[in-house]
Amino acid sequence: MKWRDGLLVLGLGAAMVAAQVWLDQSRGSLTAGDPSLYLWTGTQVKRMVPGFEGLFADIYWLRTVQYFGGQRAFAQNQRFELLYPLIDITITLDPRLEIAYRYGATFLAEPRPVGAGEAEKGIAILERGVAALPDNWRLRQDLGFLTYLFLHDAERAARILDEAADTPGAPYWLRTLAADLLVKGGERQAARRMWRQMYEQAEEGIIKENARRQLRQLDALEGADALTALVAELTRRTGRKPASLADLEASGLARGALVDPSGTPYEYDSTTGKVRVSQRSVLWRP
Amino acid sequence: MGRGRLSRILAVAANTFRETVRERVLYNLVFFALLMTLSGLLLAQLSIRQDEKIIKDLGLAAMDLFGSMIALFIGVSLVSKEIERRSLHPLLAKPLGRDEFFLGKFFGLAFTLFVNTSAMAAGLFLTLLATGRSANLGLVGAIYTIFLSLLLVVALAMLLSSVTSPALSAIGTLGLVIVGRFSDVIRNMREVVPGAPDWLVKILYYAIPNFRNFDFKEQAAYGDPIPLSALGQVTLYAAFYVGLALAAGLASFRSRDFE
Repeated sequence: MKWRDGLLVLGLGAAMVAAQVWLDQSRGSLTAGDPSLYLWTGTQVKRMVPGFEGLFADIYWLRTVQYFGGQRAFAQNQRFELLYPLIDITITLDPRLEIAYRYGATFLAEPRPVGAGEAEKGIAILERGVAALPDNWRLRQDLGFLTYLFLHDAERAARILDEAADTPGAPYWLRTLAADLLVKGGERQAARRMWRQMYEQAEEGIIKENARRQLRQLDALEGADALTALVAELTRRTGRKPASLADLEASGLARGALVDPSGTPYEYDSTTGKVRVSQRSVLWRP
Repeated sequence: MGRGRLSRILAVAANTFRETVRERVLYNLVFFALLMTLSGLLLAQLSIRQDEKIIKDLGLAAMDLFGSMIALFIGVSLVSKEIERRSLHPLLAKPLGRDEFFLGKFFGLAFTLFVNTSAMAAGLFLTLLATGRSANLGLVGAIYTIFLSLLLVVALAMLLSSVTSPALSAIGTLGLVIVGRFSDVIRNMREVVPGAPDWLVKILYYAIPNFRNFDFKEQAAYGDPIPLSALGQVTLYAAFYVGLALAAGLASFRSRDFE
């Protein structure tokens, strides 16, 4: 290679790097791209990669995680329309990929902006998982949890958890949880137990973080209910509703700062006497 | 087989192995090593708990894919190159039979593929160990069957290259390898084409090499044991089909006029 050729290669290499730096500066290095799918069903993909289904299931699972994470973290307008087909392709290619059923269903079922807000599709994914891996109690447990938490169907959820309890290796508490669901008024406690289980079973990452946030939301709601009870107590003692939470604090009934677990002050409605989580709080939910 | 005959076959095989190494075939191992190292480092973060399965899937698929490509492209050129270079004539003028030359070429490339597959397998096991994951016996079984499938690809490539040009034999072998992976579709062809005669479906199904037989990647990735009986059946199938392809290739090579 002559020195002129070497110089040309070096020059073009430097220009290529400069162009990439320029592109990153103008577009941002962590922008969500415009993802697209050329094949929309698992059957189509499966037919195209005989002998390599496992590898392609992995590739589609990585795409699913990247797509979901990308839309959640970086997209201006979150769009999750590729989420279901990506999960469908993954589990069609590898029907034994437990993680794709469990995480995929949660990605789909969680309400926006955390997930895609498509609980029915998430539950359909888990139902396919239960059919493919009938001896897997975790899939049945998740199916019961999601049915209760997002479809609010306690009876169906209890039945599913009962079936999960019958699966070999299933923990004993599934049956007691199933019974708890059918007790009126125990919704929040049941939800807390479910999220606690999800938190303990999940690895560090999206699902664990989500379970942690749900538990803190429940803490915030319970804090608001406790304060509402104290407002009622003060009303009973003084004969009138306090004008603000500062009155409650001054009365000595409530101790410490009246804030939710995220540190945001609770809101108080002096006409109804109810305390609620502030809309400014990260723990607020409609 | 006489001792002299065997030593002549081994001499051709050793020469073929040296030739393939000189052609830098084993460079793909460097790429494989990089692939395994990067996947070991990156996948744990990207895949949510699936790194072990992905490393196994990736390793086995790479062995299958790279091995098949080497088997195909080197396999079709093994004999034809000697004819084009006119180096076959002085070789055959020596006390070396055509069948010894043909079989020696096959065993030489088979040994190259054995070295290649073994090195890749070592890379896969090392990656699993380095990432604190376990390697199971099923993995060895799956690698063994991949190696058997590579021997079949070589035999098919040599058969076709003994009857036609290198380009056509490459296309033909590639076609057989691809179609052979769709053996389940061929078997159930009548569901799509109800008018297809049963005898035709059966002939196609049994005549086309069934590469699905050699696929134990899923079991290996999930740590399932692969029964010895299954490995035995696949070994027998490979032995018969490779034997058939080599015998047909030899028959064609023996009767071919190189003038």
